[in-house]
Amino acid sequence: MLRNIPKIYLNNAATSWPKPPEVLAVVTKSLSLPVFGSGRTTGSHGEDYVTIAREALSRFLAAEPPEHIVFSHNATDSLNILIQGFLTGKQEGCHVLTTALDHNSVLRPLHEYERQNRIQLSIIPFDGCSVRPDAVEAAIRPDTRLMVMTHGSNVLGSVQDIRGIGTILHDHGIYFIVDGAQTAGHIPVSLRDLPVDAYVFTGHKGLLGIPGTGGFYLRDPEAIAPVRFGGTGTDSFSLLQPREMPERFEIGTHNYPGLAALAAGVKFIEERGILSIAEKAEEQTSFLIRELKRAATITIYNDHPDLPIVAFNIKGLQNDDVGFMLARAYGIIVRTGLHCAPLVHKTIDGGEGCVRLSLSWCTTDEECLIAANAIREIAGNADSQVSPA
Amino acid sequence: MRILRSVRHKVCADGSFMKEFLLDTPLTKEFFAYLGHFGTVEALPNVGEGFFKLEKPDWFSIKGCAGDTTVEVRFKKEVMDLTVDFVYFLFVSYQEGTVDLSVLIQREQAIGERVRKHLHGA
Repeated sequence: MLRNIPKIYLNNAATSWPKPPEVLAVVTKSLSLPVFGSGRTTGSHGEDYVTIAREALSRFLAAEPPEHIVFSHNATDSLNILIQGFLTGKQEGCHVLTTALDHNSVLRPLHEYERQNRIQLSIIPFDGCSVRPDAVEAAIRPDTRLMVMTHGSNVLGSVQDIRGIGTILHDHGIYFIVDGAQTAGHIPVSLRDLPVDAYVFTGHKGLLGIPGTGGFYLRDPEAIAPVRFGGTGTDSFSLLQPREMPERFEIGTHNYPGLAALAAGVKFIEERGILSIAEKAEEQTSFLIRELKRAATITIYNDHPDLPIVAFNIKGLQNDDVGFMLARAYGIIVRTGLHCAPLVHKTIDGGEGCVRLSLSWCTTDEECLIAANAIREIAGNADSQVSPA
Repeated sequence: MRILRSVRHKVCADGSFMKEFLLDTPLTKEFFAYLGHFGTVEALPNVGEGFFKLEKPDWFSIKGCAGDTTVEVRFKKEVMDLTVDFVYFLFVSYQEGTVDLSVLIQREQAIGERVRKHLHGA
């Protein structure tokens, strides 16, 4: 980066940064204490970070009982476990639904199973920035067994009508897996009230934990077969995987520092209040959009995102060049390209990709102003025609 | 000018292969003018200290900002084995003041033949 330009990080939809000091502190603490694993290791000096994290997520997502919160490596890992586990033992060739808003974490596993002729896949387009419940209803067939879809688009920042869609799906007896990678920690989520069978979260984005943690909530564990097998520290005489939760899905040694961080991240959000965090993010996102719209050459793909995400392009410039200039000339870190959501981009920008700004709890108003000014400055130069060196 | 190290690699959405190079001296407008002998250079001179980008179709692109010591190079993957050495040669051959382009141009022509054959046949 040029000289000592301060860094402004607006790539929080990829992974949030910086982490709250409490999160960093507990990682150090967790590594300095002996491991406490219920049923494996006991000691008076350790903390049971796994249980603390499970209870924190259960409370935060209103997802009971806590044992139905399962930890994994990340959201993609969770989606793979759930999709594969759902399809295990099902008749080959059943019909599965997903949407054009979805991330490759959903699209790639489903396309792989389609390639193997294990499923027939339909992809429901979005209208504006959302998937309409009536479009979902129209796509349902007698052999539809599963729908997997995002709760919030990682490109457009639009939160989907999970309640409306889930109600329709359940009326038809269709299992519903929701990818909450972009919503957990950004908006209130109450799984107690939502018609969702499984909800996936990641630890390192809105929940403010560190990379390497994620998981899912499962309403009915019997609906998903375990697809990984191994040691759980429980019922060890049995050579078969325990059926109890969460041992049914959690094998091997837990990521103790990661789960300690995840619990601390959730606590941090709870103490500040998710509504307060969301309100600040909404104000800053609206400000950015308002400022960018002042430049006629900037195209914004969602004027009213529900999440702190702003997707745009500048006429006459490639999105990766804009990202490069922001990073190298202004110290502003954004994400460019397809954001692992190729079908969204095919719809909104012909598959060229775009620039994405994504905010977090610690983004300041001043940072938003600096970013808006930098982007408008770049756009102003693009407008004046690219000149030879 | 020397490439000190390659700091980041990835395959881009357009299928190109990106490498980010750390240089021993900051980039200048003159360096990109020199690169202009081997492709088309576009510039946004008022962005920061100046943004520059060389496009050499079918070979690679090089982008950077004046005053910075990092450049991003995107190689066309199919012919990267043929062209990567030329990128290093472009950097190492550059020095402030006069540059003898004749050796570079000869080398470019020789590689160009092989690139054309590889991509488009004889």
